[in-house]
Amino acid sequence: MEEKIKIALAQMCCKREDKKENTRRIEEITIKAKEQAADLVIFPELSLTGYVVRDQLYELAETIPGPSTKRIEDVAEKNGVHIVFGMPELSQKTQATIFNTAVLVGPQGFIGKYRKMYLPTHSIFEEKRYFRPGYRAAAFDTAIGNIGLSICYDLYFPEVYRLIRLKGAQLLVCISASPAVRRTYFEILTLARAVENSAFLAYVNLVGVEDGLQFWGGSRLIGPNGKILLKAKYDEEQLVTGEIDYGDIKPIETFIPTLKDLRPELFDELKKHAENL
Amino acid sequence: MFVLKYLPTTIKREGVGVRLKLKTSVLDLDLPETERRIERFIRDYIENSGAKGIVLGLSGGIDSSTVAALSALAVGGRNVLGLMLPEKETYNPKDIEHAKLVAEKFGLSTELCDITLVLEEFYKSIPVFDLSEKVGKGNIKARTRMIFLYYYANKFKVIVCGSSDKSETMMGYFTKWGDVAADISPIMDLYKTQVRKLAQHLGIPREIVTKPATPALWPNQLAEVELGIEYEMLDLILYGLERFMKPEEIARQLDVDKMIIEKVKNRWLSSEHKRRMLLTAKLGYRTVGMDFRLPRASY
Repeated sequence: MEEKIKIALAQMCCKREDKKENTRRIEEITIKAKEQAADLVIFPELSLTGYVVRDQLYELAETIPGPSTKRIEDVAEKNGVHIVFGMPELSQKTQATIFNTAVLVGPQGFIGKYRKMYLPTHSIFEEKRYFRPGYRAAAFDTAIGNIGLSICYDLYFPEVYRLIRLKGAQLLVCISASPAVRRTYFEILTLARAVENSAFLAYVNLVGVEDGLQFWGGSRLIGPNGKILLKAKYDEEQLVTGEIDYGDIKPIETFIPTLKDLRPELFDELKKHAENL
Repeated sequence: MFVLKYLPTTIKREGVGVRLKLKTSVLDLDLPETERRIERFIRDYIENSGAKGIVLGLSGGIDSSTVAALSALAVGGRNVLGLMLPEKETYNPKDIEHAKLVAEKFGLSTELCDITLVLEEFYKSIPVFDLSEKVGKGNIKARTRMIFLYYYANKFKVIVCGSSDKSETMMGYFTKWGDVAADISPIMDLYKTQVRKLAQHLGIPREIVTKPATPALWPNQLAEVELGIEYEMLDLILYGLERFMKPEEIARQLDVDKMIIEKVKNRWLSSEHKRRMLLTAKLGYRTVGMDFRLPRASY
């Protein structure tokens, strides 16, 4: 496994309902990221379709594997990079059950996927109307390190990140479609999730305006000590790249040993109380 | 009707354990950020809708002046047309002067269409028209202005930009299919007192910011008198209702009679039909206005 890797945060604006165009953009941006020597290129939540597509999700969702994942696998293979992107995933067993999914592909093809567990259905969000929640945290051993996947609102739930960290992830990836009114929360939570898990965190947010919702961008790469290593602009499309060194985790984990100090018995307690909220 | 003269800056009691404190500062805005967000919203809509620009009704009041300024700042004054649509009953040369002042300052073009003759033809042509019924007559004025605006929109392939604010929209204080009719409504999520702050920030002349609001449907019509409450108080009440506060808690915090809060709440809830479109009987698989849940645009 590589100790040092270069990550590209591909803060893009999507053309809603146009998978062909978004796939073309993903390819175009990946080529640019590769020119900057990126090993991993990360795109926002539902970057294949745009976020506010509502009932059109039933037409846009695809199985994994499917034509779009195949195209993006080809892009990864051709450019010798890893790619994380988001898409509505149609269940292979039913005809209208959809998940909000993050997909990880690499030079050798499909690596893994994560189905969003926490689906916001409040305020302007209506994800539970359309998506079935996932039930499994996802961390994958790859040639560029162990990568954990998460999506947007998951950030409010530390247990998701604890779980993927305990599954071995040293790089926590969060793809997002966060509108501007929530910016402050995300800026705080991304730092917290990195620090409490002594891990790198790459957050990639959508930009653009979709039905009045303004996605704020501000994608960032955060070190295990909470330092912002790289930050994209607010509101504008941008591709930024930065390097991480997994070796940096050790001194931080030694200095504040949150993982060594974990108390598993509290999780039983947590479960009991969560069931009786 | 009741007219209040409370000063909401003085809140006499603040209960222990109350999470939300209703004081004027809750309506404070990050003004540069708000300006940026609204301009971006307008610019994005124009760029992606394929429209060539914006037409808006420019009354010389604070709301339309603010929207005119934001539109000009977003897409350039040469792409914005302010239509002045006076009629003889409510004609006030000051309003025209104010509209021109804003147009000049923000570089938008204007056109004046006197709608008096059209209105008189309406009054003559409607067999049951009752001159003494001022609301019905006033609504004809608002809807006539809408017709003029949409004619210009069609003619020049531009969109109609509305000027409704959140206070008036929540209170249903507008003419259905009239002044509220527009393609976008950039300040509809700002309470009137917030619009005043934004207007000042944008450099709207002070005499426009401070003059009393009027829909100009009949002579001497004043919004605060008709609403029965000053905007400073109304906005705090609406802000509390927006955040699910109970009327008794709002009344306690603002030190006003609970009945006043209930009246505002009832007016807000009973006017929801004015803010929605096309209620129908649910018959089909997916129904317009109910469970056809589609994005407004595909870009």
